[in-house]
Amino acid sequence: MDRRTFLKAGAGVAAIGASGGASAPALSQGAAARTLRFVPQANLANFDPIWGTQYVVRNAAVLVWDTLYGFDERLQPQRQMVEGEETSSDGKTWTFKLREGLRFHDNEPVRARDVVASINRWMPRDPMGQLLRAINVELSAVDDRTFRWVLSAPFPKMTMALGKNATPMCFIMPERIASRFDSFTQINEYVGSGPMRFVRNEWVPGARSVFQKFDQYVPRNEPASWLAGGKRMMVDRIEWVIMPDPATASAALQNGEIDWWENPITDLVPVLRRNRNILVDIADPLGNIGSFRMNHLHAPFNNLKVRQAVMTALSQDDYMGAVVGNDPALRKTLGGFFTPDTPLYTEEGGEMLKMANLERGRQLLRESGYNNEPVICVVAQDQPITKAQGDVTADLLKRLGMNVDFVATDWGTVGQRRAMKNPPNQGGWSMFHTWHAGADAINPVVYNAVRANGDGAWFGWPNIPAVEAEVPNWLAANNLAEERAAIGRLNRAAVENVVYCPTGFFLSYQAWRRNVTGITKGPIPFAWGVSKS
Amino acid sequence: MFAYVVRRVLATIPVMAVVALFVFSLLYIAPGDPAAVIAGDQATPDDVERIRASLGLDRPYLVRFGAWVFDILRGDLGVSIFTNLPVSLMIKQRLEPTLSLMVVTLILAVSIAVPMGVIAAARVGTFIDKLVMGFAVLGFSVPVFVVGYLLAYIFALELEWLPVQGYTPFSNGFFPWMENLILPAIALGSVYIALIARITRASMLEVLQQDYIRTARAKGAGLRSILFLHALKNAAVPIVTVIGIGIALLIGGAVVTESVFAIPGLGRLTVDAILRRDYPVIQGVVLLFSFTYVLVNLIIDILYTLFDPRIRY
Amino acid sequence: MASASVLSPGDVSAANVAVAAPMGDIMPPVKARHGFWGFLYRNPSIAIGGAIVLTMVLMAIFAPLLTYADPTSLAPARRTREPSAQYWFGTDMLGRDVYSRVIYGARVSLIVGFSVAVLASIAGLTIGLVSGFVRWADSIIMRVMDGMMSIPPILLAIALMALTRGSVQNVIIAITIAEVPRVSRLVRGVVLSLREQPYVDAAVAAGTRTPVIIWRHILPNTIAPMTVQATFICASAMIVESILSFIGAGTPPIIPSWGNIMAEGRALWQVKPYIVFFPAVFLSITVLAVNMLGDGLRDTLDPRMAKRI
Repeated sequence: MDRRTFLKAGAGVAAIGASGGASAPALSQGAAARTLRFVPQANLANFDPIWGTQYVVRNAAVLVWDTLYGFDERLQPQRQMVEGEETSSDGKTWTFKLREGLRFHDNEPVRARDVVASINRWMPRDPMGQLLRAINVELSAVDDRTFRWVLSAPFPKMTMALGKNATPMCFIMPERIASRFDSFTQINEYVGSGPMRFVRNEWVPGARSVFQKFDQYVPRNEPASWLAGGKRMMVDRIEWVIMPDPATASAALQNGEIDWWENPITDLVPVLRRNRNILVDIADPLGNIGSFRMNHLHAPFNNLKVRQAVMTALSQDDYMGAVVGNDPALRKTLGGFFTPDTPLYTEEGGEMLKMANLERGRQLLRESGYNNEPVICVVAQDQPITKAQGDVTADLLKRLGMNVDFVATDWGTVGQRRAMKNPPNQGGWSMFHTWHAGADAINPVVYNAVRANGDGAWFGWPNIPAVEAEVPNWLAANNLAEERAAIGRLNRAAVENVVYCPTGFFLSYQAWRRNVTGITKGPIPFAWGVSKS
Repeated sequence: MFAYVVRRVLATIPVMAVVALFVFSLLYIAPGDPAAVIAGDQATPDDVERIRASLGLDRPYLVRFGAWVFDILRGDLGVSIFTNLPVSLMIKQRLEPTLSLMVVTLILAVSIAVPMGVIAAARVGTFIDKLVMGFAVLGFSVPVFVVGYLLAYIFALELEWLPVQGYTPFSNGFFPWMENLILPAIALGSVYIALIARITRASMLEVLQQDYIRTARAKGAGLRSILFLHALKNAAVPIVTVIGIGIALLIGGAVVTESVFAIPGLGRLTVDAILRRDYPVIQGVVLLFSFTYVLVNLIIDILYTLFDPRIRY
Repeated sequence: MASASVLSPGDVSAANVAVAAPMGDIMPPVKARHGFWGFLYRNPSIAIGGAIVLTMVLMAIFAPLLTYADPTSLAPARRTREPSAQYWFGTDMLGRDVYSRVIYGARVSLIVGFSVAVLASIAGLTIGLVSGFVRWADSIIMRVMDGMMSIPPILLAIALMALTRGSVQNVIIAITIAEVPRVSRLVRGVVLSLREQPYVDAAVAAGTRTPVIIWRHILPNTIAPMTVQATFICASAMIVESILSFIGAGTPPIIPSWGNIMAEGRALWQVKPYIVFFPAVFLSITVLAVNMLGDGLRDTLDPRMAKRI
């Protein structure tokens, strides 16, 4: 490069600096009122709700993809894309008919074969889907609007499986996409038949995702209730703005730079409440359940007495204080494994969960023959909930007199390491923390964390036949009383054998600007019915 | 001159090769598993294994490295494991905020620091000099996120003069763009201001002792014209050098500043990618940063010969 | 040094002791002072910087005596209390005492700072010497160092931390690796310039063996710039440590460090600024003191370099 070209390059920079200064702001006043700016709980890093099962993906996906059935606010599946269904007298054949006028965002009509391909892609990834796959005989399209499912056994929870909000949900996509990518390969085209279109070219992962109203969407006539009823969009555009730092999100909401914040941390809520332009309320009445899991395969937690010692000593108050603070409206002490205030919640046999007795715990530990084996406690530091729980656990185990090896790491590494069945000191683990959405912890099939079928169980691999014996009993139950009886026995066995340790039930807040109306409480931030003035 | 430039350009090739090998190997031995992150909480180990295979993460080291280098040479940085978007597209999306932040920081830092250094040199030993030098040490010592939060607290939350966070594209107008960049640029620039002010002062002091400056003074030239015309011109070499060295500082600082001010730039992309172990993105971004660093220093090396003809090549 | 008053009373008095002693006999202003106190008098930045660093070191060593609470014991029931007579710097979101954490936190910052300075100096010295003397190795080593240098150190440290679990030891290793290339380059530069000196030429001509030349002629001349460089590495390592912790890739929270205390408080800085404020002040003052010490050392040990920067 010689001097002259250097100067030219300099002039080029100056020219860029001079232009653009006069260009007008992109949005006019009216357009701003039709755009809802929302801060989600996490970054939308991928957008395939079957392949990636994080809550944040599901929450965005409900805008774009529609479902055959949808849970209403009483957790009952209601028809959504489906107009009606018929079951044969033996309960083994289901015939479904789709609503008229359903359209994908590429203007193609929704046909039965799209549904068949979507269900086939969803089944292997979902616990209820896997049950269906095991009894699947034939799933086929009869005509454009009708599809039939023949099973080898009755499956009374069919509409629940197709309409539940636990991830992965059974979203319907065009056949050309659903059949091109298997369940373990990510899609790269985001075409649904839901009320909003995904604007792919404005998607900046880690910063922004944009959804535009889909004008041809035909909502149902019923009023909206969670995933059921008419999903009527009152805004033209939804912008998801990613803000990893709660302090900046809080400031942005106060300054009116954003309209709705999904998960303000509890400590900032008083500040938000003081602002007259901001409303704060509980986000999801079904809340979350904190937990840590112990590795049943290896010492020390292969010893029942050691597990009982830990469960007896833990104080849910400490955990919940660390996770959500000391606001009693936000937390509950659990006596069971399922979500409080849902039909199957029971405290049967759950006394040990509420004991919080350190002395008794120490005594149990002495009786257990615990030989000072190290407890490899793997804690993700990048998730506030696991981090806070991990700190409490480290303190608890120390006071209990256990030998803690605290491994501070990130969620990705926990995800990998917890799958290792090796002994803890050979790349395995003894303990990790997580949490479950209350909406998912409503029955033992959706909530596989409570299962105890050894190798088939969730990480930690508890093998407790007494727990497993009750699952078929629940599936076969004909009424709520029978269901509750089975679940009561399951709960008792799960507590006594310490399948894992729940650390408490907690709720979180959401906050929004006063000029936004129609925000509901639910397990997903439902954007339909939300308007802005 | 031409031969020198060619030689310098060729010399960057092994450097980039080292970076490539280093970055690739580093991530190869990384323990975290993107497949586990993708699979989510409900996945079984079997699911995780299938996802790993579908991402090609189960292939041997050399196969993966070879494929990767080959793709890069064709200008293909790969596809993000998480977003399924091309890495080059993700980088392009994030380029403007980071570039804006760096340019504004650089302009701000140079326009504050050079006069500071010149004044300190002209008034060497006085209170002003000590103040400038004291400020410079302070700039080195206070971490960028502390400065960032302090500035945001005072100017955005208390005084409400400027927005707290975010980024407005340049196409939305100069002033909205600038409004969002002022605080982060000052926060990020504090180290830089300190560095440049000190270098400027030191090189000015050296130049001011030279004979020709004394001659100029003796001829009755004003102090101001001497400082800015003669002295600064000759002090330019070390100042330009430090800007080159500082590029690394700037990139590192941008990572933190972008987190504090929620700027959707390359820095945050990098941190997110590292925490999520999105290998293709990490590799692409680190390569890009290293390439920028090498390029800037190459340009500076060549600029030397323009500023200071005494340097032989 | 107005900012020193922000420190706790003990620190300031310690700083005063060092500076005040020579101030007492200010009688004959012309007479040059000798000995230790005189040296400090002539080099106020070494005196002040050194005194603060010494205070921090003592604080770190005697942390158990200076605190009234276990820095890791948590009690969520008393979380986020404002500073008071009971909790001097308040409590954090897990109810841990911020004062105790800050005092103990000095340990991590200092250990990381000093260890990285020492390790990076040793490694850099070795690599620089080899590179300066072994011709064929030089170009390979320097290409590798150039490559590593072109990755911003913070990025490199974060990437290295992503490879391993968060612990003080790993933080030290990660930051050291990121710092080594710069030290190596410095040492190599010194070696190359020394090799041109007539007395080294003479030694080579006289058939002196290379290790002897290194020991007699090279090493003594690298000590001054290395000491200065080590001080700055120490300061920069402390900042990088805090940034790593701030991003969530540093020391785990069960080992309090100024960086991770701030990281934990950052979400609350609007409502509970003290959680970030106290460690920030301690960190800034310590880094400032180390930098002052470095400046002072450079002015006395290496006046040639002092002129350059």
